Amino acid sequence: MKHWFRLHGLALSRTVGALLRHPVATLLHLAVIGLVASLPLGLYLLLSSVAGVTSKMPVEPQLTVFLKPEADVGALRAQLARDGRLAQTRFVPKDEALKSMEAAIGSGDLLAGLPDNPLPDAFVLTARRDVPAAELTRLEQTLLTDPGVDTVQLDSAWAARLEKAIALGRHALQVVVLLLAVALVLVTGNAIRMQILTRREEIEVAKLIGATDSFIRRPFHYSAAIQGVLGGLVGCGIAAGAITWLNPAVGELAAAYGQPFLLALPGPVELAAVCVTTMLLCLLGAWFAVWRHLRRYR
Amino acid sequence: MIQFQQVTKRYPGGLEALKGLSMDIQPGELVFLAGHSGAGKSTLLKLIAGIEKPTAGTVLVNGQNLARASRGSLPYVRRHFGLIFQDHKILFDRSVYDNVKLPLDIIGFDGREVKRRVLAALDKVGLSGKEKLNPIALSGGEQQRLCIARAVVHRPAILLADEPTANLDRDYAHDILELFKSFHQVGVTLVISAHDETLMADYGRRILRLKNGQFSA
Repeated sequence: MKHWFRLHGLALSRTVGALLRHPVATLLHLAVIGLVASLPLGLYLLLSSVAGVTSKMPVEPQLTVFLKPEADVGALRAQLARDGRLAQTRFVPKDEALKSMEAAIGSGDLLAGLPDNPLPDAFVLTARRDVPAAELTRLEQTLLTDPGVDTVQLDSAWAARLEKAIALGRHALQVVVLLLAVALVLVTGNAIRMQILTRREEIEVAKLIGATDSFIRRPFHYSAAIQGVLGGLVGCGIAAGAITWLNPAVGELAAAYGQPFLLALPGPVELAAVCVTTMLLCLLGAWFAVWRHLRRYR
Repeated sequence: MIQFQQVTKRYPGGLEALKGLSMDIQPGELVFLAGHSGAGKSTLLKLIAGIEKPTAGTVLVNGQNLARASRGSLPYVRRHFGLIFQDHKILFDRSVYDNVKLPLDIIGFDGREVKRRVLAALDKVGLSGKEKLNPIALSGGEQQRLCIARAVVHRPAILLADEPTANLDRDYAHDILELFKSFHQVGVTLVISAHDETLMADYGRRILRLKNGQFSA
């Protein structure tokens, strides 16, 4: 056990020494890993920030049916009550609509300049969640044929669209993560291959005088793991810096829509996840490069 | 200790370096390997150390058949040997001390023991006080001695030396051979190859003569 620790300690100290001896090469490689890691992290933070907002919004399919003044409310209510596609039907008389509008705007005398309440009576319908979008459109068409119905509005359509856009974003994120993961493995594999080439004589001599494959592999694996973790930290730093720089503009844009909204900075969980991921990917690249080189020795 | 049974080595491309060799080297023996360059001396040493694999036949070292040794066990077999290479294989990116230390690092000796052994090995070959130098600053003969110090630092039971006296003048070559004799006197088995037979004659030991991959009389 002591022997095992000694071998690892030796490899680790030599690796750190080698990284410090070539500061420019080390920093360049850290920058590459950092940039590669920051891209999916930034995209992930953007998506999770937006998803945080939409989760507060209603996404149940909702229809608002605005009625003409001459509509037969009783008959329509009975017809809607029989419709199996609907989970809930709520009648909103025009007086109630006016009151809630006054409450939302904060003005008590909306009617002051108007001769009459201009708002129509309405039904707010909540469809069952399992009703497909096409069926909702058919329901909308059926309602429009009723002589008492003025217009029908699918309220939740935009929220559903946003949710779909986020789902698309998540898929895009998966593609980006996959591609950049492959890139990271290749970049690190190549960097380790260069390190191997500069130490080729040492590896050859060590193999000849009884070094095991693990002895040869160890420093390269340590090198890749250390650079993976540090590169992950750099990536988090880049993402955090970019978000901090973007956030004032994002806040202003959101404020124009009356929503307080800022992009989230990477937290400890994201930090750990990124560092572990970059470490594992760099290790994979190093493992492959060393394996390829060691194959040539008996 | 080292046994060859009908060993043949054919390199890719068809060159047959060794043809059905059989030999037996006893523990503690000092054996010279003679022959012109290309006779197969280096190949024979590489087969003993498990660096090359025989095409046919059996190579036994301490009773273990190296022809069938697994990749994982070979490094441990090689630690029985001290290897002195024809081209020295000294690492010029580190000091004399660190060159000699390498085998001890590979085996995993602890720090104090490493220092003691490295300094003792350098003292033995006459390089005391030069441990901090870069090997590039050493003369050809001193580089040869450095290579020997690295080969003996972990006190192997068998020393294999490939042309250790090549490119050295006669006096220096004698010094090196005296050094080998002192290892022999403490029980180390030695196999030394050289193309110059006159040097070996002075030592009156067993000489194996190789010609075109076969032993000749």
